Amino acid sequence: MKGLIKLLSNNPKALFGCSILFIFIFMAVFAPLITGHVPNKRTGKPHEYPAAVVKMAQASPDGWVAQNLADDKRKMLMSKKAEHVLGTTRMGRDVWAQVAYGARVSLAVGFGAGIVVCFLATVVGISAGYFGGRVDDILSAAMNIMLVIPQYPLLFVLAAFIGEAGPLTIALIIGMTSWAWGARVIRAQTMSLREKEFVKAAEVLGESRIRIIFIEILPNLISIVGASFIGSVSYAIVTEATISFLGLGDPGTISWGIMLYNVQTSSAILIGAWWELLAPCLALSTLAIGLSMLNFAVDEIANPQLRANKGMKRWEKMAKKDKESRAPHVAVPSFVGAEDLAGGEK
Amino acid sequence: MGFFLRRLSFYFIALLFAATLNFIIPRAMPGDPVTMMFANATSQVTPERIAAMKELLGFVDGPLYEQFFIYIKSVLTWELGTSVQFYPLSVNSVLGNAFGWSLFLAGSAVLLSFTLGSVLGIFAAWRRGSKFDTIFSPGMLAVQSVPQVVIAMLLMFTFAIGLGWFPTGNAYTPGLTPDWTSWTFIKDVAYHAVLPLIAASIVQVGGFLINMRNNMINLLAEDYITMAKGKGLSENRVVFNYAARNAMLPSVTALSMALGMAIGGQMIVEIIFNYPGLGTVLLNAINARDYQVLQGQLLVMTLFMLFFNLLADMLYVVLDPRLRKGA
Repeated sequence: MKGLIKLLSNNPKALFGCSILFIFIFMAVFAPLITGHVPNKRTGKPHEYPAAVVKMAQASPDGWVAQNLADDKRKMLMSKKAEHVLGTTRMGRDVWAQVAYGARVSLAVGFGAGIVVCFLATVVGISAGYFGGRVDDILSAAMNIMLVIPQYPLLFVLAAFIGEAGPLTIALIIGMTSWAWGARVIRAQTMSLREKEFVKAAEVLGESRIRIIFIEILPNLISIVGASFIGSVSYAIVTEATISFLGLGDPGTISWGIMLYNVQTSSAILIGAWWELLAPCLALSTLAIGLSMLNFAVDEIANPQLRANKGMKRWEKMAKKDKESRAPHVAVPSFVGAEDLAGGEK
Repeated sequence: MGFFLRRLSFYFIALLFAATLNFIIPRAMPGDPVTMMFANATSQVTPERIAAMKELLGFVDGPLYEQFFIYIKSVLTWELGTSVQFYPLSVNSVLGNAFGWSLFLAGSAVLLSFTLGSVLGIFAAWRRGSKFDTIFSPGMLAVQSVPQVVIAMLLMFTFAIGLGWFPTGNAYTPGLTPDWTSWTFIKDVAYHAVLPLIAASIVQVGGFLINMRNNMINLLAEDYITMAKGKGLSENRVVFNYAARNAMLPSVTALSMALGMAIGGQMIVEIIFNYPGLGTVLLNAINARDYQVLQGQLLVMTLFMLFFNLLADMLYVVLDPRLRKGA
C-alpha cells in the first residue's frame, strides 16, 4: 500500500487517472446519495436548463450567460426553481441522476468485460507461450484470426441479432471478441520468460508446470496483464456506449450510451439542449481519458525508456551545480572538434 | 515466396472462418431471420410467402451442412443475394456503392492522421521531456481515448448545427448528379467531408504520434545517431535522414493496418454524419432486419481488413530486407 502511494505521488499521470477512476466509482456506488431524483422517471418539465445557468441568468438578466446560454425566455420561466443540477431531458428526467446511475452500467460493463478479456487473454497467452508446439500453433491461429476480423461490425451484428442486448450481454460479447490482442502480447512475454534462468531452474528442480506458471511466470506478467486490463476496461466502456447509442442496447437501462441515443432520437441537438448532450459526452470522455492516463502510467512504470527525461534533467542540474562548486578555472580542453570528426568522415 | 504462401493460406483460413461465423450467427439466434423479418409486418403473411422469401434470400431448407456448403459457395462466387430493404437491388450493388465512400473517408482520414501524427511524434521524440513532448504526447493520447461517438456528436452539434458552417449529413448536396470531372461537385464533396474527416482522423493521430515517438526514442540511443551528431551534421539531417527514416518503417506497416481497421472503426462517424458509407448501410440494414446485407457487410469488411493486412505483410518484406530470405 505504501509502495502504491509512493508510486502514485511520483507519477502525476497515474495519480490523475486513479483519481478520476475513484471519483466515478464513488459516483456509481453512492448514486442515490448524490442525487435526489430517480433517473428513469419524470421529475421535472421537459428540457429544463441546468441549475447553475438558471441561477446565473436570474442574477444578471443581461449577463453573458443569460444572453448566450439561456436564450429561451419561456423555458427559463418554467425552470425557475433550478432544482436540476444538469437540467432535464426531453422526457423531463434529471440528467445528473442519469449520469450518476449511468456510471454504474458503464463501470460494470467495463470491468465485467475487462475481467473476461483479461482472463481469456492470460489463459490463452500463457498456454500458447509456455507450452509451445502444437498448442501454440492452434492458439496463435485463433488469436490471429480474431485480430483480422473487424471488431465493431462483428459486435454490432452480434448485438443486432441478439436484440436489445442488456449490459451483461454486451459485456460478454465484448469480452469474448476482444481478447486476441492481449493474448498476443502475453504470449510473446511468456515466451521470453520461459527461457529465463529462474524458470529453467524451477524446471530442473522438478516443479510442476502449474506451479511454474502460477508462481514463476504469472507474477512477472502482472504489469502486462494490468495494462491489458485497463485498456480493455476503457475499450469496453466506449464500445458499450457506442452499441447503446446505435439503439442496439436495451432502451430500458440507464447508461451514457442510452443517454446519447435519447439525445439523437429526441433531436435534443436541434432544439439546442446542449446540456443533455454535453453531460454524457463529458462523463464518457473524462473516464476514458482517466483510464488512458492510467494505462500510460503503467506503461511508463513497466518500461522506463518511455519516460520523459525528467530524471536526467535532475541529474544534469546536479552535475552543473557540482561543476560550479569545483574550481572554475580549470578549462575543459577540447582536442577533437566536431569539424575534425566531420572532416575525418569525408 | 514461402512467407507469402503461408500468409496467403492464413488469410484464406481467416476468410473461411469469418464466413462460418457469418453463417452461424443468424442461425444460432432464437427464431429464424425470415420469420423475424415478418414479425413486424402488418400485412398478412402466408406460409407460401415466407417460403418464397426464404428461397429468395438463400435460406435453403435441408441439413445444416448442406446449407453451409451452399453458403460458402455463394461467398466464393460472390453472389451475396438480394437486399430486402432496397428490394430489387442486389447486395453487391448496395455495398459497392457504400464501399467507395467509406474507402474515400478512411483513406483520407488515415493519411491525414498519419502525416500529422508522425511529424508530431518526430518532434516529441527529438525534444523528449520538453514542454512540447510533455503536453502533446499524453495530450494526443488523451484525445485518442475520447470515444468517437462523443467527438462526432460534439463536432456535429458545434459546427454543423450550432454555427452552421458545415452540412449536417450526406456526402454531397442531394440532387447534385455525381460527376467527378466537374469542379463544383468535387468541391461539394470536400465540403461535406470536412467534419467526418476531422472526427475520423483526430482519434488516430495519437496512435501514430506515440508509435513514432517510441520508435524514435529507441533509435536515438543507437550508436549511429551519436556518430551522426558527433560528426557535426545539422540537427535536421540527423532527425529526418538518420532517425526518422528508420523509425518510419514500423509506422508504414501500421499505416496499412490502420487503413484496414479504419473502415470498421469509422462506422460510427459515418452514422452520425449520415455519410453514405458502409457504416450507414450497416445501421440501416440492422434496423430494417436486412440480414443479407448484414452478412455481406461483415464479409466485405473482413475482406478489406485481410487485404490491408496482406499489404502490411508485403510492405514489411519490401522495407525490411531481413525478412526477404523467406523459407
